[in-house]
Amino acid sequence: MTIGSLKVSDLVVEFVHDGYAIRPLDGLSFGVEPGELVVLLGPSGCGKTTLLSCLGGILTPTSGSIRLGDHDVTNMKGKQLDAYRREEIGFVFQAFNLIPSLTARENIAVPLVLTGHSRKVAFARADELLQEVGLAERGNHLPSKLSGGQMQRVAVARGLGHNPPLLLADEPTANLDHIQAEAIIRLLQSLRDDGRMIVVSTHDARLVPIADRIVHMVPPDQHEERPTHDVSYSAGDSIFEQGDPADLVYMIKSGNVDVIRVLADGGEELLNTLGPDQYFGELGPFLGFPRSASVRATSDVVLTAYSPRVFREKVLHKN
Amino acid sequence: MLLLTFRDLVYRKTRFMVVTILGAVVFALLFVMTGLVNQFNLEPADTVDQFGADEWVLPEGVSAPFTSVSVMPVAAVDDVDAETKSPVVITRSSLSDGGAPEEVVLVGFEPGGLGAPQVVEGRAPEGPGEVAADVTADVEVGDEVAVGGEPFTVVGLTENTTVLAGIPLTYLTLPDAQMLAFTTTQVISSVLVAGDLGPLPPGLASLTPDDVVDQTLQPLEGAIASVDLVRALLWIVAAIIVGAVVYLSALDRQRDFAVLKAVGTSNASLLGSLALQAVLIALGAVALAAVIQIFLAPQFPLPVTVPNSAFWQLPLLAVIMALAAGAIGMRKVLRSDPSEAFAGAA
Repeated sequence: MTIGSLKVSDLVVEFVHDGYAIRPLDGLSFGVEPGELVVLLGPSGCGKTTLLSCLGGILTPTSGSIRLGDHDVTNMKGKQLDAYRREEIGFVFQAFNLIPSLTARENIAVPLVLTGHSRKVAFARADELLQEVGLAERGNHLPSKLSGGQMQRVAVARGLGHNPPLLLADEPTANLDHIQAEAIIRLLQSLRDDGRMIVVSTHDARLVPIADRIVHMVPPDQHEERPTHDVSYSAGDSIFEQGDPADLVYMIKSGNVDVIRVLADGGEELLNTLGPDQYFGELGPFLGFPRSASVRATSDVVLTAYSPRVFREKVLHKN
Repeated sequence: MLLLTFRDLVYRKTRFMVVTILGAVVFALLFVMTGLVNQFNLEPADTVDQFGADEWVLPEGVSAPFTSVSVMPVAAVDDVDAETKSPVVITRSSLSDGGAPEEVVLVGFEPGGLGAPQVVEGRAPEGPGEVAADVTADVEVGDEVAVGGEPFTVVGLTENTTVLAGIPLTYLTLPDAQMLAFTTTQVISSVLVAGDLGPLPPGLASLTPDDVVDQTLQPLEGAIASVDLVRALLWIVAAIIVGAVVYLSALDRQRDFAVLKAVGTSNASLLGSLALQAVLIALGAVALAAVIQIFLAPQFPLPVTVPNSAFWQLPLLAVIMALAAGAIGMRKVLRSDPSEAFAGAA
């Protein structure tokens, strides 16, 4: 196993969807030391899987860098990336993603055979890993004959086939009951003992206690209670920009604002014009998403800014 | 790669069996169509060969003995300068063994001369009232039959003596044929020559056996072209069947391919697996078709002779076709994105 730390610096991923530019990752930085288990924590849609894809060399980020030991992952291309995935990375996919026509043993061995190992070596390694994950007796069963927890353990064993220094696990406890989830958590815990780095994406808080480090994909302070206050903007001022973290909900006391969607080509699309007694910016803070549009003052405006909880209680429930 | 391919074939066995059977039916029809065209081509060659002639002398302007009416005076035999020569009568007539009359080609010959039948059962006609017929005429030695309305006795049977897609030849002595065809013994249809042929007098021309074969095939050209067209259509149907199943397989396995790509498997390995699957389906279908055609061919009203070459050409073409038809599915593999492996449960 090649040991070296993982360093992610100022990572940005931007892609275009339906004509709009979306930035699931915007300037993310963190590091992982050998033997550490890092949990990427955040709600669905916050960019956890995108980050894992970047770490695994499946997705090329828009900017920023990823270094694993001596490997500059962000500058790798084609066959270099294939080799990187083959040698340095182990994947555990959400929903197990085992090949349904292959037995548990074959699911572990076939990827090894297809990446150049001899059948003998591959199947010996599969047997060893099945033993390690406690499924030695289930090796000849098809995935359809295994429980969710057993399938996930086979998926972990597959990820460990070539003994990678970095294991990436996407929602490994999703779809599992608490007993099966506990077994997977215990297994992941044990895998870092020999210096392996493990990066787990999850929104399952059960994984937090075993983490050596937690990367909050959504800033943890964004839902912090802030007092209700009035703010003023002059005509042409930006109240917030598309992609900004969402923290407050605004009610217009006076003046008008435009709600604008910024397009991938740099152009803008006017979504709405709002006036006094209308509110905006509520969905982002409620759902934990970044702002999905920009809002600009078209005249001098006075706004009342609420925290999501206060807005829900004082404005929504009042109506 | 082999393991992945075989396991998938087993996992989706019902689909692959259905496709293999469908493909086998199509390939069996291809075998039969190939046999039919082959028989069309073999038939006149076999028949003409049994006449034993090196040259066929006919009146000038007559295209061939089996496809046009040929009449020449019997005295013309003396004008033909050849060591071995025999007059023959060749004409269309009918044969009936009590049921509906069947169309036949009468061949009048001189016993012991060129054009005499090579019987496989019984003997050749030697005198008046005797005939030998091709086995496809469905008569037996000893049967009393009517030829051109006149009574005859079947004394022998011949094989591979048909023309124009299955019309059987019926042999009788020259005088009997002359009387049936022309009601006189003073005319014949052709003079068969073995060995060297000297210059012919004006009004006579000669054809080689190959010329006779070519001319006899001419009326069947339309039929052969039609069968060839059907064969081309059957290849297209086979390609659609194999292509569709390979595409469906690629579609079903898209997530599997994404996972394998994500763990570093090369496109070549995955393409190889899918290509091997296409080839195995095609070869399985051809193997089954080779058995089906044994039972299918006799059901055809026309003789079918599948050439030996078809048993290696057809599988070879099927493999090429399967790879071409599977290309769309393989394209799917090339395009499958390893990041799809991260997608949630389908």
